[in-house]
Amino acid sequence: MKPDGVAAQAEPSDLDLVRGIKSGDEGAFEQMVQRYHARVYSLSYGVLRNAEDAEEATQDSFLTLYRKIGTFDESKKFFSWFYRVALNQAYSRARRRKPGTAVSIDDFLPKFASDGHIASPELTDWTTSVEDGVIARELAQKAGDFIADLPPAYRDVIWMYDVEEMATADIAETLEISIPALKSRLHRARLYVRQRLSEVSRGPAQAEAR
Amino acid sequence: MTDWTCRQVILDLLGEYEDGTMAAPERADFERHIEMCPPCVRFLTSYRATGKMLKSLKPEEIPSDLAQSVLAFVRARARKP
Repeated sequence: MKPDGVAAQAEPSDLDLVRGIKSGDEGAFEQMVQRYHARVYSLSYGVLRNAEDAEEATQDSFLTLYRKIGTFDESKKFFSWFYRVALNQAYSRARRRKPGTAVSIDDFLPKFASDGHIASPELTDWTTSVEDGVIARELAQKAGDFIADLPPAYRDVIWMYDVEEMATADIAETLEISIPALKSRLHRARLYVRQRLSEVSRGPAQAEAR
Repeated sequence: MTDWTCRQVILDLLGEYEDGTMAAPERADFERHIEMCPPCVRFLTSYRATGKMLKSLKPEEIPSDLAQSVLAFVRARARKP
């Protein structure tokens, strides 16, 4: 018996639904799909930037959820686990579409002279071109490709924070890292994306010497 | 008062400055460097533009029948090994 009317009307928690799915309750699975399909699609779309691929990645993520829910540790936060499942599905699909190897982030960090000054100051401000919607979309597409090239430790942090705009504590929990480690990776990943965007915006002839 | 180099400002301090967790004295030193250093101003501008641009990678709309297509997909495959 429910203790009171409020509890009887309350939405089931994620953990309630997880336990329902584990016990074969189809309704619990349906509710989980209703609750999270938009967020999973959103992150998949960001990685793949194609509606059809994002939909298929979303389907695969929920199939994995359905099949692997038995491996979920109920002492952990469900969505952190599922977010990682979905992110892996999206990146796995992206790799199949465009195989590649992760870049070394150190190759794309800003360079400094021996006295600590910026080695090659940017002569033009490429960010003004972002005011043009078409150019901004092209650059954003490139930024997405650059992120996909990153090692997962950096890729996932910048994706969750800057694209998905997840809370710092949720990201740290999902990735099982400390807040200082998260901030350090985020900053380095942003420096990397900024550097690569600067280089493609100026063209190879004007690219900073690396 | 500390005279930071561009390297320190960009590599070591910028992230902390941007997330608002930098202590007031360091913040003042950081801003003093930025005010005196046009290359760092341009760098900061492009660093912020990068973060802003990344938010546009989110989809503008979710397919209206997505939940149903997910359910149909999973039901069709759930019992296969």
